[in-house]
Amino acid sequence: MNAPTTPVDVVLVDDHHMFRTGVRASLDSRVRIVGEAEDVDGAVVVIHELVPPVVLLDVHLPGGDGGGGTEVLRRCADLLSETKFLALSVSDAAEDVVGVIRVGARGYVTKAIDGPALSDAVVRVASGDAVFSPRLAGFVLDAFGTAAGDVATGDDELDRLSAREREVMRLIARGYSYREVASELFISIKTVETHVSAVLRKLQLSSRHELTRWAAARRLL
Amino acid sequence: MRLPLRRPERGRWFGGVALGLAAHLDWPVRRVRVLFVATSLLFGFGLVVYAFLWLTVPVGDPVEAAEITRPAFLGRLARRQAESGRQLRVPGPEVLAGVLLLGGAAVLLLARRHPTVNLSWVLPVAVLLAGLVLAWSQLGAVTRGSREAGGRGQAFLRIAGGILLAGVGVLLLATQVVGKGIEPGLLGQVVVAAIAVVAGVALVLAPWWLRLVRELGDERAARAREAERADIAAHLHDSVLQTLAIIRARADEPGEVARMARAQERELREWLYQDRPAPGTSVAAEMRAVVAEVEDTRSGPEGEAVAVDLVVVGDRAPDAGTAALLQATREALVNAVVHGRPPVSAYLEVGDEQVEVFVRDHGDGFDLDDIPSDRFGVRESILGRVRRRGGTATVVSKDSGTEVHLVVPVGPCPSDDAATPANGTAQQKQKEKAT
Repeated sequence: MNAPTTPVDVVLVDDHHMFRTGVRASLDSRVRIVGEAEDVDGAVVVIHELVPPVVLLDVHLPGGDGGGGTEVLRRCADLLSETKFLALSVSDAAEDVVGVIRVGARGYVTKAIDGPALSDAVVRVASGDAVFSPRLAGFVLDAFGTAAGDVATGDDELDRLSAREREVMRLIARGYSYREVASELFISIKTVETHVSAVLRKLQLSSRHELTRWAAARRLL
Repeated sequence: MRLPLRRPERGRWFGGVALGLAAHLDWPVRRVRVLFVATSLLFGFGLVVYAFLWLTVPVGDPVEAAEITRPAFLGRLARRQAESGRQLRVPGPEVLAGVLLLGGAAVLLLARRHPTVNLSWVLPVAVLLAGLVLAWSQLGAVTRGSREAGGRGQAFLRIAGGILLAGVGVLLLATQVVGKGIEPGLLGQVVVAAIAVVAGVALVLAPWWLRLVRELGDERAARAREAERADIAAHLHDSVLQTLAIIRARADEPGEVARMARAQERELREWLYQDRPAPGTSVAAEMRAVVAEVEDTRSGPEGEAVAVDLVVVGDRAPDAGTAALLQATREALVNAVVHGRPPVSAYLEVGDEQVEVFVRDHGDGFDLDDIPSDRFGVRESILGRVRRRGGTATVVSKDSGTEVHLVVPVGPCPSDDAATPANGTAQQKQKEKAT
C-alpha cells in the first residue's frame, strides 16, 4: 500500500491487556494508537472524545448491556461518517462476523493476523475501503448463495451479488490478497476495492430473504 | 453444610428414612433406628413419623443431592461413575397390601369377637385410607422420576381416584361424627357445598400453582444448560491443560509447540463456535477433519508446523464423489504443506451440481504433466481419483504461488440421501463396484 505521510490514529478497544500490548508492539509506523478502552462504556466515551479515523474493535467486550462490540457500534452510530470501525475477534463464528458488519463495521479480521497485515487493514479502512478476510468472504458467498440464478443483473440490486463481485469474493475466500485478485482478474486494485465495498454495502443493507434465513439459522439478527 | 433430607437407596432397611435422617442430622444411623423403634413403642408415635417421612421425603443420595444444589462451576466437572452397590429394597406395594389385608382381618376378627363394635366406622376409614394410599403411592413414583408404563394419564387417573376415594371417606366419616341425622337431601347439599369450597380454593391458588410449575420447568432447563456447559468445560479444561503441560515440557521445540497450539486452537474453535453435525452427514465437517489431519501430521520443508486457512461455503451429505474429492484434496494439501510455502489456503465450495476445492500455497509449484509417471503418488492420488468420478483436476503455478483446482460433479439431492443412510451406503457400494 502507498503509505500516507501522517500515521493513522487508532483507538484500540479490547478487554485483554496482553492482546492490546501485542497489537501495540506489532503495528508499524503507518499506524499510531491514540487511545485504548477495555469495556463497552469506556470505549463509547473514548471514541466520542477522540473521534479517531479508525477504531480497532473487539467483538466480545464486557460491560454496557452485554452487547459487546455490536453495542459499541450502535452507541457510536452518530460518528460512523467520521470514524471507521474495523472488527477484530478471536471468534470466526458467523453470528459474530456478520452481526458486527450489519451494524456498520467496515471490515473484519481475526486476531491471528500479523502486524503488517493488520497495519495494512487499518490503512485500507481509513481510506474508506472495506477489509474482507477469506472467512468473511466465505460467509458472504454462503449468505448470498452460489447458484447460477443468484447473480445480480443491475448495480442497484441489493439482494444479489454481481458476477464480478462474486468472482472477487471467491478469490478472497481462496486466500488471494487484493493485489493478487487484481492481477488474476486483470483489473486495478482500486476496482477490487470498489467491488469489495459494494459487497459490504449489500451485506449491510440487504434484506434478502435468504440472508435473513441464513442468519436466523445461525442465531443472529 | 448440612446434607439435604433424602432417602438413600443403598444400605436401607425399609424405606431408607432412618438412613436419610441420620445423614441429614449427621448422627449415627444406629441411634436414629433405635430412637424410631423406641418411640414406636410409645403409642406407635415413631411408626407414624416413619410412615410420614417415607411418603414425603424423596428418594435419592443425599451427597449427590447436595452436589446438584451447589452451582455447577463449584462441583467436580467430571462426575464419578455411580458405584453399583447391592441394593436392599423392600417391595413396598406388596408389604402395603399385606399390612392392609392383615388390618382387615384384624378388624373382622374384632367384629366377630365383640359384636358391639360399630362397624360403620370401619368402612369410611378404609375408603379414606385406600384413597390416601392410591394418591400418595403415585406421588412417590412421580418424585422418583420413574415414568413407568402408563405415564402421565395413568398418574392423573390415580390421583383423581385417590382424591375421590378420600373425599367419600371423609364425607362418610363426617356424617358418622355428626350422627345419623343427615338425610340424603342434606347430603347432596353438603357435597355441593364442599365442591364449591374446593373449587374456590383451587381458583385462588391456581396462579400460584402455575407459577410454581413454570419455575420448576425453568429450573430444569437451567440445570440442563448448566450440565451441558459443565460437560463442555470439563472436556476443554482437560484437553487444554494437557496441551499446556506438554507445551511446557517441550518448550525447546518451536515447531512441535506451534503444531500443538494450532491443534488445540482448532479443537477449542470446534467446541465454541461450530454446531457439530452428526458424523457422515456433512462434507464440510469431513473437510475440516482432513485439514486437521494434515496440520497435525505434516510439516513444512524445514520441519515447521504449517497452518491451513480453510474456508467452506455450503454443505451437503457426503457421497462417493465427494469422498474421492476429499482424498485428492488431502494429497494436494500434503503436497502444499510439505513442498510448498506457507500460507496455505483451502477453499471448499459445495454447489448444486458440483463440489469444488481450491488448495493454494505460495511455493514455486509444479506441473502435473511434468511429474514422471513413476511418481504414482501425486499423479494417481490427485488426478486419477477425481477424473474417475467424472471430475477435473488442474494445477496453476504463478509467481504468487501454486493452486490446485479440483471439481467433482454431484447428484442433485444433497439432503435426502442423508435421511436414509442405508440407501446411501448401498448406492455408494454400487458406484464403487461399477468403477
